Amino acid sequence: MTDFQRLLAALCAAGVEFIVIGGFAATAHGSAHVTVDLDVVYRRTADNIRRLADALSPLQPYLRGAPPGLPFAFDAETIRSGLNFTLMTVAGDLDLFGEAVGEGTYEALLRHSDERLVFGLVIRFVDLDTLIRLKRAAGRPKDLERIAELEAIRDESKP
Amino acid sequence: MADSKLFETVSLDPAPVIEAYKKDVDLTLVRENLKLTPEQRLLKMISALRFAEEVRSSRIASK
Repeated sequence: MTDFQRLLAALCAAGVEFIVIGGFAATAHGSAHVTVDLDVVYRRTADNIRRLADALSPLQPYLRGAPPGLPFAFDAETIRSGLNFTLMTVAGDLDLFGEAVGEGTYEALLRHSDERLVFGLVIRFVDLDTLIRLKRAAGRPKDLERIAELEAIRDESKP
Repeated sequence: MADSKLFETVSLDPAPVIEAYKKDVDLTLVRENLKLTPEQRLLKMISALRFAEEVRSSRIASK
């Protein structure tokens, strides 16, 4: 089972700039669905890539679904060469996005996000409307139920 | 800075298919969650996830 607190604490302790999206963000906004992984958009600057590599190194990240034994090292060079990574770690499953759907980079999402204090950590979550946009842009049939719930949350939250 | 494609091309206008799914959303769960703080919502989800994992791992093989 994914240890969300441990993953978030590792990212925060290393000073990684990231924004939580996906099911974990949906839960923070009020979704009743359960999610099994953590999805984050990370900033693609050289310094942040180095911090990201340092943060995750102790958690032994490996490509989820890949055969065991591949010569995979999740270091700054690997992150620079790639963009989005679906990882399994000793703290659970972590999806890293250099760019989410619809050119959803860290910079693009930053002003559509808010900081929240959770687990004693200051975590930046994408806002509800942007989360709905991301889900709509993904265009996956499996998300329709989730989008409907998120829009219901938005409707219920209106004063 | 201009907004990305996400904000220019993805509308938040009502979509018929999503409106159809909305009828099945359990608003009682949503309303209960909205009474909680974000941290409380996350802890509640993690608790449910932990319970599901325990049930899954406690399955006893049938004779």
